[in-house]
Amino acid sequence: MNARRLKRFVALWWLPVALVAGWWFLSLGRDSFYFPSLQKILAVLWRDLTTGNLLAWLGISLGNMAAGLAIAIVAGTLIGLLIGEFEGLRRAATPTLNFLRSIPPAAIVPLVIVAMGIGSAPKIFIIALACFWPVLLNTIDGVRGIPPQLRDTVKAFRIPLALRFRRVLVMAALPQIMAGIRIAIAVALVLMVISEFFGASVGVGFYINEAKQRFAMPETWAGTVLIGILGYVLSALFLRLERWLLAWYFQDSRTQGDEGA
Amino acid sequence: MNQMASSDMTGALKPRPVVVNRLSKSYGQVGVIAGLDMRVDPGEFVSIVGPSGVGKTTLLRCLSGLMPPTSGEVTVGGQKVTEPLGEIGLVFQDYRGSLMPWMTTLDNVAFPLQGRGVAKAEREKIARRWLDDVGLAGAAEKYPWELSGGMQQRVAIARALAYDAHILLMDEPFGSLDAQTRLGLEDLVLRLRRRLGFSVILVTHDIDEAVYMADRVVVLSGKPATVIDTVAIDLGMERDQIATKSDPRFVDYRNRVLSRFIGKDHA
Repeated sequence: MNARRLKRFVALWWLPVALVAGWWFLSLGRDSFYFPSLQKILAVLWRDLTTGNLLAWLGISLGNMAAGLAIAIVAGTLIGLLIGEFEGLRRAATPTLNFLRSIPPAAIVPLVIVAMGIGSAPKIFIIALACFWPVLLNTIDGVRGIPPQLRDTVKAFRIPLALRFRRVLVMAALPQIMAGIRIAIAVALVLMVISEFFGASVGVGFYINEAKQRFAMPETWAGTVLIGILGYVLSALFLRLERWLLAWYFQDSRTQGDEGA
Repeated sequence: MNQMASSDMTGALKPRPVVVNRLSKSYGQVGVIAGLDMRVDPGEFVSIVGPSGVGKTTLLRCLSGLMPPTSGEVTVGGQKVTEPLGEIGLVFQDYRGSLMPWMTTLDNVAFPLQGRGVAKAEREKIARRWLDDVGLAGAAEKYPWELSGGMQQRVAIARALAYDAHILLMDEPFGSLDAQTRLGLEDLVLRLRRRLGFSVILVTHDIDEAVYMADRVVVLSGKPATVIDTVAIDLGMERDQIATKSDPRFVDYRNRVLSRFIGKDHA
């Protein structure tokens, strides 16, 4: 690692490292019931991941989240492309969409659990429903924001409908679609946890809630810390994916404005 | 169905005539073009000049079928233009906005052919040939944003020609390029046109460019715009940036168009 990269690394990481270290040392040895030491929290987390059910439950939770997100991304993108492209459809759908998306997803959790019972299906459904909106709305915006020049080009060269969707609209809207997915991932994480608070017998959310009911505070904290780490890792991974998928976009906007030869 | 001419790139094309008949276009109450007549014969190079905001781009959009006229009509080979035709290739001023940044240069040129159902290997072969022809053989795998403005506009020209355009519509294609690049591209288009025989309709506000490139210059003026003068440019097929532009006849044509611009009567 050369000096410049080291400098960047330090600039990026000193604060989180300091916060964790502060937490670690300030809580060390002071075992209050509600605020166990970080050392204890991590020890419990490690114990339950390696010897308990937590790792398997994490897998189940992540599986639900992935399934819900996948459904939301596919449905949100497809429907968003259609609504964004066809004005008539947009006009017809807008009032309904505005009503539906103003219902907080968490509010329908009890309803869905009652209707669909326990197991993975209601959780996947809830995650998919909540994540559908940011993907849908961003896709619509992305399609509507396509520059008129590009539309003229597509029209002038008589690009057929299916090809237009596949190679122009999706790509032109991709930066916005990815922004929608980024929001959806955060939403999915929230609903993954909340959906496991009710009518669940497995999952990280269940782990947290069940520990809370036993007043097992280190476990409750351990589950919460695990979700925090998970959220961070997911968003970091997604950022990488985005940089890779949209390399053309970042390059293109960086050189925007360089005119002439 | 409207592909009348041969598509062999080495042989001469036989473009169909473009006829504009009493064309008017208005946006709401604002008239932009009123009762405009003009024609472009097969293989002819016509420049359309006029001051900024006179409606040149609007006219070109009507010619290309991107926009319906308010009244009057545009016909190509007698067929009324109601949507973009397969034999017309467009080159826009904003090359940046008309190339797809997520496609390589090769893909950009080949893409309209995919729309025609040309198989992948075949369309890439055609695209490579045209990129070669505009001097971009080495840039096939590059992305548009890796190319200079002049190179991007070459890609746009290659795309229009690969699309088998018999009539090239160019909207201020060199307007945002520096002088040297601009002259190079003017000569490139003239060379390709001499070899292939396509028709060109060039919209520009640069009088030198209009006269230098064209067989005929159509001068637009007024609000709404009409044709106020048509100048036949009798300078032969071979043009040269220095020799042609110092030819007294060139200077005469140029001054005649210019006098129309600034509203003075010039003999």
